[in-house]
Amino acid sequence: MSLRIEDLPQADLFGPGNASCRGCGAAIAGRQAMKALGSRTIVTIPASCMATLSGSNQKTAWQVPFYHTLFEIAPAVSSGIRAGLEAQGIKEVQVVSWAGDAGSADIGFQSLSGAAERNEDMIHVCYDNEMYMNTGGQMGSQTPLYAATSNTTLGKPTKKKNMLAIMEAHGIGYVASASIAYPLDLISKVRKAAAREGFSYIHILAPCYRGWNIPGDQTVEFARRAVECGLWELFEVEDGKRTRNYEPSFISVADYLLPQGRFKHITKEQVDSVQESVNRHYGRGRSEG
Amino acid sequence: MSTTLLTGSEAAALGAKLAKIEVLAYYPITPAFPAMERLNKFIEDGELRARFVRVECDHSALAAALGASLVGCRTFTVTNSQGLLYMTEVAYHVAGLRQPIVMAVANRALSAPHSRFPEQGDAISQGASGWIQLFCENNQEVLDNTLQAFKIAEKCHLPVMVNYEGYIQSHTLEEVTIPEQEQVDPFLPLVRRATLDVENPQAVNTVASPEFYQDYKYRQNEGMDLALQVIDQVAAEYAQGFGRNWSGLIETYRMDEAEQAIVAMGSMISEARVVVDALREQGKKVGLVKVRAWRPFPFQKLRDILEGVSLVTVLDKNIVFGLGGALATEVKSALYGFNETRINSYVLGLGGRDTRAEELTQVLNLSESMTEPQNTFEWFGM
Ligand SMILES: Cc1ncc(C[n+]2csc(CCOP(=O)(O)OP(=O)(O)O)c2C)c(N)n1
Repeated sequence: MSLRIEDLPQADLFGPGNASCRGCGAAIAGRQAMKALGSRTIVTIPASCMATLSGSNQKTAWQVPFYHTLFEIAPAVSSGIRAGLEAQGIKEVQVVSWAGDAGSADIGFQSLSGAAERNEDMIHVCYDNEMYMNTGGQMGSQTPLYAATSNTTLGKPTKKKNMLAIMEAHGIGYVASASIAYPLDLISKVRKAAAREGFSYIHILAPCYRGWNIPGDQTVEFARRAVECGLWELFEVEDGKRTRNYEPSFISVADYLLPQGRFKHITKEQVDSVQESVNRHYGRGRSEG
Repeated sequence: MSTTLLTGSEAAALGAKLAKIEVLAYYPITPAFPAMERLNKFIEDGELRARFVRVECDHSALAAALGASLVGCRTFTVTNSQGLLYMTEVAYHVAGLRQPIVMAVANRALSAPHSRFPEQGDAISQGASGWIQLFCENNQEVLDNTLQAFKIAEKCHLPVMVNYEGYIQSHTLEEVTIPEQEQVDPFLPLVRRATLDVENPQAVNTVASPEFYQDYKYRQNEGMDLALQVIDQVAAEYAQGFGRNWSGLIETYRMDEAEQAIVAMGSMISEARVVVDALREQGKKVGLVKVRAWRPFPFQKLRDILEGVSLVTVLDKNIVFGLGGALATEVKSALYGFNETRINSYVLGLGGRDTRAEELTQVLNLSESMTEPQNTFEWFGM
């Protein structure tokens, strides 16, 4: 039943020719997700790195219809797209809004919440690099506690807003977290969302090596460590039923945090408090079921 | 055709229904909401087969309409005042993407201070947005302009606002003749142009470099130039098919041998007709110029019409701070360097202050008695 790499389509519907930095987590997420979505997909992407790297002038990195929207509106535009397709009786099209953490959790949150509440037949993907990279790396609600950004150089004083819990509270049919370091898990989740009717929300951890201040070839590695230390839990909530999809090995959070330049200023006490919050969340050894 | 009593809201809703809109999106606001609710009733009663996207804000309303338009549907929205301001970012974007969305605007004063009463400042704020803007003088014109708006929008690949004033039109019953669906269908055939289409993938709104951006804007303005002809053509075609002639960009009333002219837009036109009749009765050579299309602004037509007129009084139910009345500003720029006409500009009727025939007559008297050239504008009704 579980998906294998060799079962995936060879064709890349997003990728070739895109203008991302080498080692861009967002572009990796896009490539993986398109393996599940297929060619009958209409993608809307609000202002973000992903929108910018997707095409300029007469070039595009998408093999499917792609629309670079205003910053706040991708879920609302996608709602209109679905309504327009239904009005014409056009079926079997995946309607996807694909936004960064600002386009999902901050400026884009109103239209995201609206579309979720209406249970629009679409998928919203938040690719989360935990900061505003397209404008140079400022903090946002998805920036974790203590992380330095271009406008919180001493570290962010407040916690990351829990978008997965917020989206789950909308009562939608499918909510899932994913990480670009676990492509098969990610792709199966997008597939699941695509097979369902109604609104699905997938939140993908997609590191940005520039913002995180790590080497460019370590994007996937840090997407893995985030999961293995327990800070980024891989789970899904399907029709209200919560499943943890992966048991982390519980490397220490220090192994995740300390090598990242954005946590350069973090104190030992702060690392300990993060470790404690992970321990508390997992009840270490106790399965949440 | 049948004639009945309708509010402006009902006339706008009926226009959209007769145009067989396929997708509707709006966010409630006063005084536009009766038009919205009427449309939902049409849908619920099965009289209109349209999808309604029940969005969470005005900004998303225009965004949802845009999504539907991009897959090729005929789409409609309704708003005014704060809703229109909130939509502004999307409004510019819609025009840049050349989508033929039609929006009814029940013109209302802008906050602060809070007011729910009529004024044209909301529409005026969108003057640079790239939307074609039509102003309606009565509820018949609200219906007729809504139908014409779809045709103009789809021919010029530009969005169109149909402006009618809150309460004075939106909530007031007037006699309106309703065309038959069989008349409307051949006037408004649906030509589908899907931009987002899985059978023909395209990228929309990719990042434009300086080598491209200005050319896009040039093309967009060409759409406006085209509209100068299309608005006239569509009005003529409408007159032929439906028997009501709204004369296109500009309508003149009793301008034969006129020495003086009133220039205005919207509901003040109906009152100004009464004023002109009374003055003509007294032997005064006064006429009326109704600007029906504020965008694109009919510079050439206005010049031709006002040739030989010695005094023009422009009535503005809006204020552009630090500048004056928006219509007067455009009239002056149209005439500048072409003739010696005196142009007096009055700002009046803001936030629902009266602009009846009585008040308009007083404005004309003031304008006539002005001995020095008036280079800015005057407030009336303070
Ligand atoms: C209304 C509006 N405000 C601000 C901006 C500037 N802006 C463009 S992208 C961006 C940040 C995007 O951050 P995120 O969604 O996290 O995606 P990322 O670029 O990090 O991939 C900002 C602030 C804009 N385009 N529109």
